Amino acid sequence: MFSASLLRSVSRPGRYAGGEFGQTVKDKSRTGASFAFCFPDAYEIGMSNLGVRILYGVLNKDPDICCERVFAPWTDMEDRMREKGILLCAHESGDEVRTFDFLGFTLQYEMCYTNVLNVLELSGIPLLAADRVDDPSFPIVIGGGPCCYNPEPVADFFDLFNIGEGEEMLPEIVRLWAEMKRRGATKREFLLEAARTIQGVYVPSLYDVEYNGDGTVRSYTPNAPGVPARVLKRIVTDLDTAYYPDRVVMPYIECEQDRIMLEVYRGCPRGCRFCQAGMTNRPVREKTPQTLVCQARTLYDNTGYEEISLTSLSISDYSGLRELTDGLLEWTEEKKVSLSLPSLRIDSFSEELMKKVASVRSSSITFAPEAGTQRLRDVINKNVTEEDLMRSAGIAFAGGKEKVKLYFMDGLPTETLEDIEGIAKLAKATVERFYETPGHPKRAPLVTVSVSCFVPKPDTPFQWEPQDTREMLQQKAEYLRTKITDRKIRYTYHDSGVSRIEAVLALGDRKLSRALLEARRRGFRYDAWDEFFSYDAWMEVFSEAGIDPSFYANRRRSRDEVLPWDVIDCGVTKEFLWRERERAYAGRTTKPCLETCNACGADCLGGERTLCPKLSKS
Amino acid sequence: MPETVEKLNHTGFGEYGLLPAPRTYRLRFCKTGGMQWISHLDLQRSFARILARADLPLWFTEGFNPHPKIVFALPLPVGCQSLCELVDIRLVRDMPCDEVLRRMHGATASNLDFDRCYVPASKFIDIRAAEWEVRIDGRFVPGGTEDYLRRAEALLTGPSLTVVKRTKSGDRETDIIPLIKSVRCAAEGSEAVLRLCLAAGQAENLSPELVVSVLRDRLGIPEEDREYTVMRLRMLDGEMKEFL
Repeated sequence: MFSASLLRSVSRPGRYAGGEFGQTVKDKSRTGASFAFCFPDAYEIGMSNLGVRILYGVLNKDPDICCERVFAPWTDMEDRMREKGILLCAHESGDEVRTFDFLGFTLQYEMCYTNVLNVLELSGIPLLAADRVDDPSFPIVIGGGPCCYNPEPVADFFDLFNIGEGEEMLPEIVRLWAEMKRRGATKREFLLEAARTIQGVYVPSLYDVEYNGDGTVRSYTPNAPGVPARVLKRIVTDLDTAYYPDRVVMPYIECEQDRIMLEVYRGCPRGCRFCQAGMTNRPVREKTPQTLVCQARTLYDNTGYEEISLTSLSISDYSGLRELTDGLLEWTEEKKVSLSLPSLRIDSFSEELMKKVASVRSSSITFAPEAGTQRLRDVINKNVTEEDLMRSAGIAFAGGKEKVKLYFMDGLPTETLEDIEGIAKLAKATVERFYETPGHPKRAPLVTVSVSCFVPKPDTPFQWEPQDTREMLQQKAEYLRTKITDRKIRYTYHDSGVSRIEAVLALGDRKLSRALLEARRRGFRYDAWDEFFSYDAWMEVFSEAGIDPSFYANRRRSRDEVLPWDVIDCGVTKEFLWRERERAYAGRTTKPCLETCNACGADCLGGERTLCPKLSKS
Repeated sequence: MPETVEKLNHTGFGEYGLLPAPRTYRLRFCKTGGMQWISHLDLQRSFARILARADLPLWFTEGFNPHPKIVFALPLPVGCQSLCELVDIRLVRDMPCDEVLRRMHGATASNLDFDRCYVPASKFIDIRAAEWEVRIDGRFVPGGTEDYLRRAEALLTGPSLTVVKRTKSGDRETDIIPLIKSVRCAAEGSEAVLRLCLAAGQAENLSPELVVSVLRDRLGIPEEDREYTVMRLRMLDGEMKEFL
């Protein structure tokens, strides 16, 4: 545990205080296995994560497992720790992280990779799995979360990955180790047994990778019998009966998502072609409104949160939406609890929905048209029209809002300057719509145009696409700036340098571990934070490590190329993704799962109350 | 020892009659251990949630953004612990004080310990002073604990002691002697213990952290080793009686 003198010398010491209401404290020595669960970012970011809340709860539900939280210390604390030779400790007990059986990282975004390595180093744990696996004194390092759909860039640092949803798989893994440890098994024996017997387990050291002369992957070959050639992701089939936490560890300091997060359903039936979550979370599975109302009430009683966020990728596609909101409003109004939505689809936004989720305090509302012209929106299969946006904005303005935020991407496949100009036109039309709306607020409108750079992601129809070069992205951003002249439109632009590094780390292979080791050697940390990220420093790292970033970020891959993430099977087939890519180039849209089956392949995973036409028929 | 959330028993409020007007209840609590690193602002923010978990028949303000009325006696600086924090809340039903206390217990972790609940007869504005206990690890005291305490007492009871006080409007030189009501020093084992009664409240206020930093500057506790604890023991009114 950190001493008082240490805590007096750092910013926001509340991050390290511990003792929050709702935490679980167990005696590690009396459980079969201990698990240090790390969100590799600052406390206030990590505490906001729903996955952490779920998995912390599900592990601790087992009396034989002790799970504690770990976060990356902020840089001032890190400096003091290094100065004084203090090792990183887990949050609940203050025990050193390296004394746990497992150190698990949730990998939510690629830019946290440098923090993962830093946490290992601060814990006194060797970075490379090969340097740890035969030493029983070090924890088994495992990874999970969305980035694991291509774990290859960090594969050398992990003993094992969870591919897919962890509610069932993670306790199975930990229990297996508890049992094998009692029998005196080695870590190698455990890793092999886990890879053979638990679906969703990927042990990188059990696969040999060969490369072609041009640097592309030739093959992945399992090097032990019984290990699957491809690792099929794991899902929980029935979300109604799946574990959902009935409480939250309550942070005292302000966190990013300081509210109840009610996961209404998992996945998204829309099929936007740039969206990884929309592909990897198939098949779409719903909870019943009854279950949700009950979970929300229990969570309110145990947390006292004044806000419930209905978190799902496109909430208006939920089949029980009216029943859910009505069921919640029965008690939330009396308790002064408000409902909120993280995102809204503009084709289904209604006055009724806005009234129900009246986040009274907010005068702003966010929509994501993603692209500036109908042609490009068809290419990315966004399936919304300008009319949809105008209608939705009109409802918002008539309902007393004067601020609208519009999210776009630039650098999308087939994009031209006309598409970029379309963003400016759409923003201008939104401002005009404000003045045309009877009963609009008296205040002046503000339309914020927020543009981020397209990053091709694994397991999407755009996984073969090159990212625009940084110069092209910068030119497009500048071009858009000249097209936005209205002072009622505010233009914010995401740094293309970060997006480029993100593309390299998202689309990379095992060769990238060289670069990450070099980044650690140079002290990289908190690269997800603008104040610590340096594009030029990353370029130096790549050049030192002999990595050409454009090979990963800016190269068009061929249809028959073996992709580094082909060893992972997310359920959706490569054939479906290629078909979707072809349709994108033909400018043809694909209907959502609700209307027609597009044969994506994810029905092989099964599921209850799913929006998948194949599964719901049977 | 496993710390678990006590499942609250939702009795509903039916058995507690509606009051003709909202009533103020005062709660006393200890803020110790890790809670000393939670700022006053963060505690304030968390408090509405604690009250909601405790399932109390709260009175809500009637504005555009209804919220419960929560008033703290005196902010506690970060890094200071307390055995005597006071907070006023308002309820609309006639709930017995011990029931309010029971519910608060179920809604908080052990490092935020509510030990009293009553209907107050005093107003926070009448707080004039606070009694503090500063414990300094003797290992970090140059020249031995006894000698150190003698010098500390001489310094804090001298004719004047001018320090730079950081305020919102900039640094200002202040003589803190008039703000020090009493000083008692004693050695307890290897620890140097200072009992300080310092001005507190809206009119004049002296933070124990400032006194500690003066001791550090003048008597030379190295900046590196800030191993000490500060505990607020009691709050006092104008007659130097315990404020409740």
